[in-house]
Amino acid sequence: MDMDIPLPEELELLEANSHYYDEPCLDPSSPDPYSSSAARSPDSPPSASPEINGQKRPRHSVDSESPSDENKRAKIIDVDENAGIQVDDDDYEEDWLRYSPPPQDSNTTVAGVQEEIYLSRYASAIDGDFLPVTAPSSGDRVYARVCRVECELRTKKLDVIGQSNDLISEPFDVLLQRIEQQAFNKALQASSEHQSDVIVSETPIVHEQLWVEKYAPNSFTELLSDEHTNREVLLWLKQWDSCVFGSEIRSTSDEVLSSLRRHTSAQYHKYTDSSFSSKSRGRKWSSGSYRNSNNLDHGNTKGIQDPWSKKSRLTGPPEHKILLLCGSPGLGKTTLAHVAAKHCGYRVVEINASDDRSSSTIEAKILDVVQMNSVMADSRPKCLVIDEIDGALGDGKGAVDVLLKMVSAEKKPDTGKENIAREEKSRRSKKGHKNASLSRPVICICNDLYAPALRPLRQVAKVHIFVQPTVSRVVSRLKYICNKEGMKTSSIALTTLAEYTDCDIRSCLNTLQFLNKKKEALNVMEISSQVVGRKDISRSAFDIWKEIFQKRKVKQEKKSYINCGSSSGEFDFLHSLITNCGDYDIILDGIHENFLQLRYHDPVMQKTVKCLNYLGVSDLMHQYIMRTQQMPLLVYQPSLAISLHRLLAQVQKPNIEWPKSYQRYRTISMEKMDILRAWHQKIAPHISRHLSTELFVEDLISPLLHILSPTTLRPVALHLLSEKEKNDLAQLVNVMVSYSITYKSIKSDPLPSNLRNELALVVSVLSFHPPINDFIHFKDHRSDHHVLSLAMKQVLLHEVEKQKILQLNTGRSENITDEPKKEEQTLVHKEATTADSAKITVKGEGSGRESIENTMNIPSTKHGNPSTSINSSSWVSNRCTIANAKAKTSGNSRKPSGGFNFFDRFRKTSSKNSQDADTTIQKEAPLERDLRPLLFKFNEGFTNAIKRPARMREFFQ
Amino acid sequence: MLWVDKYRPKTLDQVMVHQEIAQNLKKLVTEQDCPHLLFYGPSGAGKKTLIMALLRQIFGTSAEKVKVENRNWKVDAGSRTIDLELTTLSSNNHVELTPSDAGFQDRYVVQEIIKEMAKNRPIDTKGKKGYKVLVLNEVDKLSREAQHSLRRTMEKYSASCRLILCCNSSSKVTEAIRSRCLNIRINAPSEEETVKVLEFIGKKENLQLPPGFAARIAEKSNRNLRRAILSFETCRVQQYPFENNQAIPPMDWEEYISEIATDIMKEQSPKRLFQVRGKVYELLINCIPPEIVLKRLLHELLKKLDAELKHEVCHWAAYYEHRMHLGQKAIFHIEAFVAKFMSIYKGFLIATFG
Repeated sequence: MDMDIPLPEELELLEANSHYYDEPCLDPSSPDPYSSSAARSPDSPPSASPEINGQKRPRHSVDSESPSDENKRAKIIDVDENAGIQVDDDDYEEDWLRYSPPPQDSNTTVAGVQEEIYLSRYASAIDGDFLPVTAPSSGDRVYARVCRVECELRTKKLDVIGQSNDLISEPFDVLLQRIEQQAFNKALQASSEHQSDVIVSETPIVHEQLWVEKYAPNSFTELLSDEHTNREVLLWLKQWDSCVFGSEIRSTSDEVLSSLRRHTSAQYHKYTDSSFSSKSRGRKWSSGSYRNSNNLDHGNTKGIQDPWSKKSRLTGPPEHKILLLCGSPGLGKTTLAHVAAKHCGYRVVEINASDDRSSSTIEAKILDVVQMNSVMADSRPKCLVIDEIDGALGDGKGAVDVLLKMVSAEKKPDTGKENIAREEKSRRSKKGHKNASLSRPVICICNDLYAPALRPLRQVAKVHIFVQPTVSRVVSRLKYICNKEGMKTSSIALTTLAEYTDCDIRSCLNTLQFLNKKKEALNVMEISSQVVGRKDISRSAFDIWKEIFQKRKVKQEKKSYINCGSSSGEFDFLHSLITNCGDYDIILDGIHENFLQLRYHDPVMQKTVKCLNYLGVSDLMHQYIMRTQQMPLLVYQPSLAISLHRLLAQVQKPNIEWPKSYQRYRTISMEKMDILRAWHQKIAPHISRHLSTELFVEDLISPLLHILSPTTLRPVALHLLSEKEKNDLAQLVNVMVSYSITYKSIKSDPLPSNLRNELALVVSVLSFHPPINDFIHFKDHRSDHHVLSLAMKQVLLHEVEKQKILQLNTGRSENITDEPKKEEQTLVHKEATTADSAKITVKGEGSGRESIENTMNIPSTKHGNPSTSINSSSWVSNRCTIANAKAKTSGNSRKPSGGFNFFDRFRKTSSKNSQDADTTIQKEAPLERDLRPLLFKFNEGFTNAIKRPARMREFFQ
Repeated sequence: MLWVDKYRPKTLDQVMVHQEIAQNLKKLVTEQDCPHLLFYGPSGAGKKTLIMALLRQIFGTSAEKVKVENRNWKVDAGSRTIDLELTTLSSNNHVELTPSDAGFQDRYVVQEIIKEMAKNRPIDTKGKKGYKVLVLNEVDKLSREAQHSLRRTMEKYSASCRLILCCNSSSKVTEAIRSRCLNIRINAPSEEETVKVLEFIGKKENLQLPPGFAARIAEKSNRNLRRAILSFETCRVQQYPFENNQAIPPMDWEEYISEIATDIMKEQSPKRLFQVRGKVYELLINCIPPEIVLKRLLHELLKKLDAELKHEVCHWAAYYEHRMHLGQKAIFHIEAFVAKFMSIYKGFLIATFG
């Protein structure tokens, strides 16, 4: 009988942690006898109840005794079962599928005190109290209801003991041993009889099997992980029942869900009335009003949970369609997912990192799992477990994306739909729709919840963070396994091991197996020196900084078994910590950022100097390594951090901040550098070539700001200025233009600034366009720069714009040749006179130019300066004629620049032709005029208060 | 435009400050041949001005007609092609660029541009001046690789291409390059020279200069002619006619550093050091080069220091500046210097006053 085998294990476990007691007791019991008894149950109740009532109460009136009593009773039940009736497994299943809920009347019996067990595959089938029972080997879950028939069957035996004496005749230990012995014999028999599906019986045969696999929990109750988490996961899975099993089988009732809820919350709050809590054992059995109180309790929780459960009922699948389990490795996440899914009747389909995780393949796979039912033998619905979802970033993202798509597709349809509709919908979508929805539970497992790939998933999924199981639980399990394997260990050693591995049961087991193979006993003192796998724990930078800044508290217990001196131990610890993190740059930055805030004793700053020297060395080293690419040298970085730790470590808790200021400095200075570069390029080359961008800040900006905002300038209309002031203004505008500085209204200003419109009311802030005044803004520094009034700025802006257009028209020639205008004009004049021979009258040309310059809207035809980069067609043609005429002088001063050459040649011929055709100035001039484009400037957002019609010719005057 | 630009000498004859050098250069050029040149000296001494004047002397006014170009180069470097973009100023006869803007890929720029110039060598009617001039700015910031690659190309293409290198410190230019060039050191102008220039400008601008005023500006300007002229113009803008005791507006960042120095002198503690760090960051954020911050800080501290400490402090400043150049995070080293100074100074205070 395979069912019995786990019994001894369970007992062991039971010993170790007594609070876990209930389940082990009931758990191994094969459901068969119960089922039969349950089937019989409706017949007998009324007759039996009073009698039992009478019998039981006195027995349990002695509270102190009851636990053992109860324990014993359970054992007896077990023993009884072993001998008991057995129904074929398949039969049993069928039975329960067909089973209908018991009539309500069983509930009506006042004698609710009796605990009778009453089984159902589905909790909904039971009303009233029940205990979930899982068969460890098959993972079948049944719900046992307390009912009286069983009691009737058993009472006799119980009574014998219960009534004969308050104490048991034999000592408890003896009883236990006997039971164990019995069970063991049974187990041996059973294993010899059917070897096929017994797990333990494999032990002698397959010796190579890893302990981790061998002793992996098979049932929900065996799970080592945190009870609360387990239940939450189970609850979540249960919420799928109505959706997944909906049409075929009765879904899990609200009641069950709520009671599951209740348990979890009870567990969470250490709720004493919980039937799973060990402390309340006695009360549960003894108090006559148990049923009442339970009812009350039930009612309460129901009242609270009602809206919730109703909702969940209606919507079918739970709110969060994806469950995300996270926690450090070895805590049993994968195991939990598998066990829980199996427990709830799903077939687990696992996708892990070793599978192909590209988006397309995974989509097909998920669709396959989530929407189809296999027609093969195993027709259980599937539950998808995506393991290590955070692992591969590139590919893992594919999985996340597909899941998100499915979840979002789900959200679109109305939430109030019935299961059937949903089912249909999904079926439809299977056929045609691309938008697939999730209709099966999906459990994702990750180590790092905050992996960037998981960011979107975190929002839609129900997240459970695994906490470490308590050391005692791990140890008891280890002990049990050691016993099983016949390995001699002490619980102290096991505790140490568990602590050492941070309760990573996997690594514990591997270590133990390894030692067992070597025929060595686990030595307490040698754990650190023994070849015990130490995990690579990569901790966050914050933890590392904390370790560096904070002296470790003198941990007595740690010191006791870390033999070596504390300093070297500390060194090793820190070294491995920092090495595992790997990002030395950020660690040292963090130290630099934070160490001055520490309160270390340093009268003459020598420590600080030392620290900064170390940091400097680390910087030099980093730079050297990066330059020469000698990565092996990086190993010396951690030791620097450790020496800093020696200098700085304090007992009190440091206040650590993430190092931001260096990054801030980098980004801002880059931005400013870009501004400067852009500015530098805008400035005409004859000025900018003399300056480098660094020099701007160093030499130029401060005086320039002074020069640009003179205190003497009066904000009055231009015509009111004196001659001298006008000169000053002209000079100022000249400077601004040559350094390509303008004023610009700041964008945050709601009203667009207006330059010609002198509306004083318009609150606009004009600031320098390359924001050069930013460069002298230092924190806590007041500069005495004069700031011009807004009106003045507007005047300046206007003037600058005007000047710019002027310059554009007259060409940049003045700037380039760096000659005063007068000089140039004469030069032009001279050239023009020589060009006289070339059929163009100087006078007309000169006057034309002057008038043009006055109107400033038309590009001038100054052709004395071939280097101007502006070439309207007329200008080119003109220049070319001259060039043509004066071929001899073009050698040095007027050689057209390289880039122009080709087109110049081309144009030359054409213009020559045209000029051959009509050589008179009278014809040339109007042609020229026609060709001149009219320049105008449009200010966006500009509204002129007064509009008046203007004729084109007014512009030309 | 500013006076700095307005009164910049255009020809070698107009040069006021380094007249001797200018005449030598003129002679050099008029003898029809010109070696590679390396101009070095502090900023604001007139290197660039001299170079421009020299170019004008060689090529005439056409050298002044420059256009700005954003050039792209595609360089085949073995397996991959490197895309480079750089702004150049070029006239018919010369190209001017700052190769260090290309960062660590400056090597390719240097090689490419010289090859390119050698390829289309200008052919003059007279067959003379058949070379182009390449002006490279900030050679001291070139990477070592670029400098190495430069020296061979310098020789190979010397027939068609002359180099004029310009940098602040010749010590950062490799020996090999220095020996291939005619090194010309441009001193910072002495205060008398600065005064002369200022008075010249004053005369041109028709300004009344009170006696000693120009000297004050010259003194303040730290022998930097550009700065002198700029602050002269600033004074002019702020107040004219000049008064003899008129305040000469200081550079903002220099003021800020002197504030820092005062802070350091007031208190020496890690807490204060933390505040100083914040302020140094402020300076660095505003693109003040860290070397200059350190130098200026030392300058300000020395002003307030006892004579017997000066030597030691200078030593440590040099020490940390060296480390700063080797390293990457300037803030670490500046801060280390400040800490060292605090430590020395505090020790000194305790020793003196008990």
